[in-house]
Amino acid sequence: MQLRRQPLPAPRPGDRYPAAPLLALLLLLALQGAAAAPAGSGEPEHSGWRQDAELPRGLLSQAARAALHFFNFRASSPSVLRVLAEVQEGRAWINQKKEYKVDLVFTTELYNPEEGKERLGKCSARVFFRNEKPRPAINITCTRLIEKNTRQEEDYRLYKYMKQLKNLLDVVNIPDSHGHIDPSLRPIWDLAFLGSSYVMWEKTTQFLHYYMAQLSSVKQWKTNEDAIDFDYTVLLHEFSTQEMIPCHIRLVWYPGKPLKVKYHCQELQTPEEASGTEEGSAVAPTELSNF
Amino acid sequence: MQDIPGGSVGRGLSPVDRQTLLVCSFILAAALGQMNFTGDQVLRVLAKNEKQLSLLRDLEGLKPQKVDFWRGPAWPSLPVDMRVPFSEMKDIKAYLESRGLAYSIMIKDIQVLLDEEREAMAKSRGLERSPSSFSDSSYHTLEEIYTWIDNFVTEHSDIVSKIQIGHSFENRSILVLKFSTGGSQRPAIWIDTGIHSREWITHATSIWTARKIVNEYGKDRIMTDILNAMDIFMEIVCNPDGFAYTHSMNRLWRKNKSSRPGIFCIGVDLNRNWKSGFGGNGSNNNPRSETYHGPSPQSEPEVAAIVDFITSHGNIKALISIHSYSQMLMYPYGHSLEPVSNQEELYSLAKDAVQALYEVHGIEYIYGSISTTLYVASGITVDWAYDSGIKYSFTFELRDTGHCGFLLPATQIIPIAQETWMAIRTIMEHTLNHPY
Repeated sequence: MQLRRQPLPAPRPGDRYPAAPLLALLLLLALQGAAAAPAGSGEPEHSGWRQDAELPRGLLSQAARAALHFFNFRASSPSVLRVLAEVQEGRAWINQKKEYKVDLVFTTELYNPEEGKERLGKCSARVFFRNEKPRPAINITCTRLIEKNTRQEEDYRLYKYMKQLKNLLDVVNIPDSHGHIDPSLRPIWDLAFLGSSYVMWEKTTQFLHYYMAQLSSVKQWKTNEDAIDFDYTVLLHEFSTQEMIPCHIRLVWYPGKPLKVKYHCQELQTPEEASGTEEGSAVAPTELSNF
Repeated sequence: MQDIPGGSVGRGLSPVDRQTLLVCSFILAAALGQMNFTGDQVLRVLAKNEKQLSLLRDLEGLKPQKVDFWRGPAWPSLPVDMRVPFSEMKDIKAYLESRGLAYSIMIKDIQVLLDEEREAMAKSRGLERSPSSFSDSSYHTLEEIYTWIDNFVTEHSDIVSKIQIGHSFENRSILVLKFSTGGSQRPAIWIDTGIHSREWITHATSIWTARKIVNEYGKDRIMTDILNAMDIFMEIVCNPDGFAYTHSMNRLWRKNKSSRPGIFCIGVDLNRNWKSGFGGNGSNNNPRSETYHGPSPQSEPEVAAIVDFITSHGNIKALISIHSYSQMLMYPYGHSLEPVSNQEELYSLAKDAVQALYEVHGIEYIYGSISTTLYVASGITVDWAYDSGIKYSFTFELRDTGHCGFLLPATQIIPIAQETWMAIRTIMEHTLNHPY
């Protein structure tokens, strides 16, 4: 069984993240509009947190990415997906249970940047990693990238476009081997990425993080009722194991409404999950999220 | 078909000739894949337990055969791939569904895929009569790369030669290009790409780099100085079996294709099979794993070939092992958090190289030791190289940082090769100026 624990590194020259005062962060967190994931048993404010001076370098970007997956999912908007640009400030605390609390400030850019229009947003977040357990609790606030009306219009435009798409069940392997995505299918990729964001957020721990490698197939694309009911499989690239995790995801999306996602990922590594509990080719839901 | 030799105007074909011609045409047509697969699909079935597996074995045993297994039923939770002829489609899918066998359609129409592939390759082949017209801005198959190597060596035989250093598990040649302006056993630089077969950008980058090396000699002062004093060895496809597999079956295959009796899973991670920190954290002893280190250090022929070559050469002064993705430039160790004794020099050199890379297209790389920058990984190439006395051992993780990952559009090949070149050149120059 692979030992995943990443011990704290030796100090090295040129450390990029000075422990700058995070007053601005605290102010931002106090503001309205912070998106918050349920923290489970609640955030232990003072019990046993000591500051982790030797920051595992990857931890900050990992925390930022997890926070962004969660943020994108909550925003439920395929036209305004954010990706990490740069971590600017970060600090971490660790407690006796080996749980991490990470405060950070980072910049973001649009997943789908428009020609010539660079949009750089800024976020501050607090991320709790339970020891090797997934579903990090997240508090995140971001500056607005796009006016609300514009975003709603863009989402609705996408929605109308997607409603009239046909023959999507033929779609396999996007991007293809040569990295190509047909422009007409780009919105499908974005919607798939939105659904995958939920999955990637849930699965992230302080040792494991994910990227969406490929949309493998479209199992179902229903648009006859109001919402878009999209059933698909993706491959998630898992660090640091390098595994490609196949996930079956089903999402229901309507512009302006919270995204609903169910999923089941195939874990090839752990013997307990290899034998499987689901039956048939339909996916049994493991998580229904609509909070 | 070709003309019958010796024919002259007016001479017809004898009945025997005509029959031979017809037979040859049939064979040729089959060989050229003129068989029709229209509507045939490849299904991937995931059997979750032994019971489901035996259902699949029943299918396999049917006579006459209804499906053609590309990857047969072996072990629960291992995918089973089967080609289903169009005529059997309804029956087979009903069979699978009624027995609760989950499947997905890997190839929706084999004929369409074959046609598209053939068209694409014919297009690019039409342009590739000479090595200078081999398109750098598209991805190529193993055969195309090996053909290119031969043409390249012929065209630049004053500087470049080809060495076969061994054979892969499936018996493919392992080839190394040698760039040399003379001398004997000169201090040398080693560059390798494609240890992980899905990292297509790396093979593409080294092809461009090979061309760049010969073009710059005599023009660029630094490259001229380097090649006047040192040799360069370049292994473009370190994992030919895996690479062929990424073209034929699984674009995201990482390991080699070795198999062993009694072990159902195929492949060893060639970047965990080296004899430095072998078997430690950041590698896996489970053959199913993408980071399976193999039964013992250097057990894999692809790794052993490089070890043998470098060891018997004895004068390699820098080793650059190129991977993707993450945008990083790193030095040893991967297996330990302890800094190497030359840490400061390597850090400083990495910093310069990354700066040179950045100046080309503004792409930011991070740098540091592997264990502190990426993750702990044991049994890796550069750790072995460093412990074998090669001080300037570096590994790249090329673009990007996750947006496209391994599936980078071909339009990015040249920009990536251009920027990576500047980093490689920086490392080579430093090696030249700091002999040891």
